[in-house]
Amino acid sequence: MLLVLLDTPQPLSLREIANRIPGYPSGRDARRQAFERDKRLLRDEGVPLLVEPIGGEDQLGYRVDPSHYYLPDLGLDPEEQAALNLAVAGVHLGDPSGVDALSKLGATGESPLRPLVDTPLVDLPSVEALPALSGLFEAVRLSATATFEYRGAPRQVDPAGLRFRGGHWYLVAFDRDRAEGRTFRVDRITSTPSVGPAGSAQLPAGFDPESAFSAEPWRFGAGDVIAVDVLVDPVEAGRVVAELGAGAVTERRSSGAVVVRLSVTDMGALVTWVLGLLDHGEVLGPPEARAAVIDRLETLVGAGEGSGGAS
Amino acid sequence: MTTVARDVGTRLRRLLAILTWLAQVGETPIEVAAARFGLEPDALVAELEMAACCGLPPYTPDQLMEIVVTDTTVSAHLGEMLARPRRLSAREGFALAASGRALLAVPGSDENGALSRALAKLDRALGGESMVIELDDPSMLGVVRRALETGNQLQIEYYSASSDEVSSRRIDPLRLFAGDGHWYVDAHCYKAGDERRFRVDRIQAAEILDDVASGPREAAEGAEYEPFVPGPDIRTVRLALDPSVAWVVESIPAVTPPEQTGDRIEVDVAVGGDAWLKRLLLRLGTAARVVGPPEAASLLGDAAGQILDRYRRSQPG
Repeated sequence: MLLVLLDTPQPLSLREIANRIPGYPSGRDARRQAFERDKRLLRDEGVPLLVEPIGGEDQLGYRVDPSHYYLPDLGLDPEEQAALNLAVAGVHLGDPSGVDALSKLGATGESPLRPLVDTPLVDLPSVEALPALSGLFEAVRLSATATFEYRGAPRQVDPAGLRFRGGHWYLVAFDRDRAEGRTFRVDRITSTPSVGPAGSAQLPAGFDPESAFSAEPWRFGAGDVIAVDVLVDPVEAGRVVAELGAGAVTERRSSGAVVVRLSVTDMGALVTWVLGLLDHGEVLGPPEARAAVIDRLETLVGAGEGSGGAS
Repeated sequence: MTTVARDVGTRLRRLLAILTWLAQVGETPIEVAAARFGLEPDALVAELEMAACCGLPPYTPDQLMEIVVTDTTVSAHLGEMLARPRRLSAREGFALAASGRALLAVPGSDENGALSRALAKLDRALGGESMVIELDDPSMLGVVRRALETGNQLQIEYYSASSDEVSSRRIDPLRLFAGDGHWYVDAHCYKAGDERRFRVDRIQAAEILDDVASGPREAAEGAEYEPFVPGPDIRTVRLALDPSVAWVVESIPAVTPPEQTGDRIEVDVAVGGDAWLKRLLLRLGTAARVVGPPEAASLLGDAAGQILDRYRRSQPG
């Protein structure tokens, strides 16, 4: 089918396509079904299938525009090609897309995709487990709107970029309904994003993906920003500073402990994070943040007693 | 239906890759071509024969593709239309951009700048400028890499999150990798007398020793990444989870499939240390309950009490 569609300067109707492909089902419904399957297959493979109105009873015609089908020459020199090969070999995405891409780029024979032993490997989350990812990438690339379901609600966004931090992929985008920049965790997107036409996305003038991005769970709330100070003991100080960045540190004590300041919009998420430090972390203030931690702990002390050994 | 479509997609993609490659390299021994694409020779021949006898429009077969299979070799000649490389699918474009950027995020991975240049060319043609990949950069990463490069032993101070203790260990680093958003080093640990996985951001101090790493190293190659490697002191704890936190099952080392009991989900979890379980329970709060064993049921209350003590002691005046 691909060959037929590439070869035609005029869009072909479904009937014409079926006539040119030996073995295509002749029954109307079976033909339509086979065609829908093939169409989806081609689109999944990145083949730009154009749908154009044609005259006559069939109304719609299909063709593939060769200028969009073929890869433009990237002009990679051998050194650059080798660097890309190494990247694909050293970064695990859980599927062979990277290797497929390289073979399209013409990485043939001689440079086997063998990772170097002393090169650190990077495991990114499996693309299989994040089906939304490639659609979002396409949306960003085409400056197209994306519509998807997130935390049980539909969202329509103008995507600005994809970002990986702390083990998770995020989409930074302008949320049309909320009329502001938002960060979405890709693994919480529960539907396959539908991507609008190329160029349909319109980011507001001066939209800054950097300031719209936040991977910190305590910043996902909608409330006012509260500055919370957390004291972290030496055993966890290094890790926490690496996680938050040195800019968050407001005080370094001689013991090795640090005080970090966090901008919090979701107090519940902050409490959860602080409790993950066990007794190596303590909210110093403001009082309402301390009270939120103490409140949660008191509930849990009670809950622990209540359920202990119950049978 | 979806599964079938994906299988067909995989085959189509592979077939096009094989044909494009064959057209470029010319006549090739069957074994060589099969090995390159990870196929048995018979399977390769079967794929090519299938391609040769179907899917061709009746009016221009010769111009489009000619496949020749002899007893020992295969070759393909493609019309101009198929010989030119195809555009990348969204998934392939994503894979290239992500792989390149992930490696670029590894400190010191692109000293001659070739990877950056390659990515810039990719971006111009395919988009992808707006993808950002950050890997964490723990302070001890550099010293661990140096030890791995020189093959020397390391003396480390390590905070174990599962036991909530700091210990001194002498290790032979075997493999360094980033996964799950963190850097890990697999090493032979002389204290444990076995291989252990250490999170680099939990190494509080590290010193390169003069001794050359000499422990067993067979596990260094081919070890697959798994965020959780069961140690010897594993015990099983059964949790009952509220459906609102059912997602946690995906990110904890469950040893049995979750079971629905009433309005709760019960799951057996492999626990490497009390501190790990305390963190999990504190995080889940009242949405999780320990079913058993009984000694684990008191952990949450104890942990909460211990932290509460800290707050009471330090009550600001």
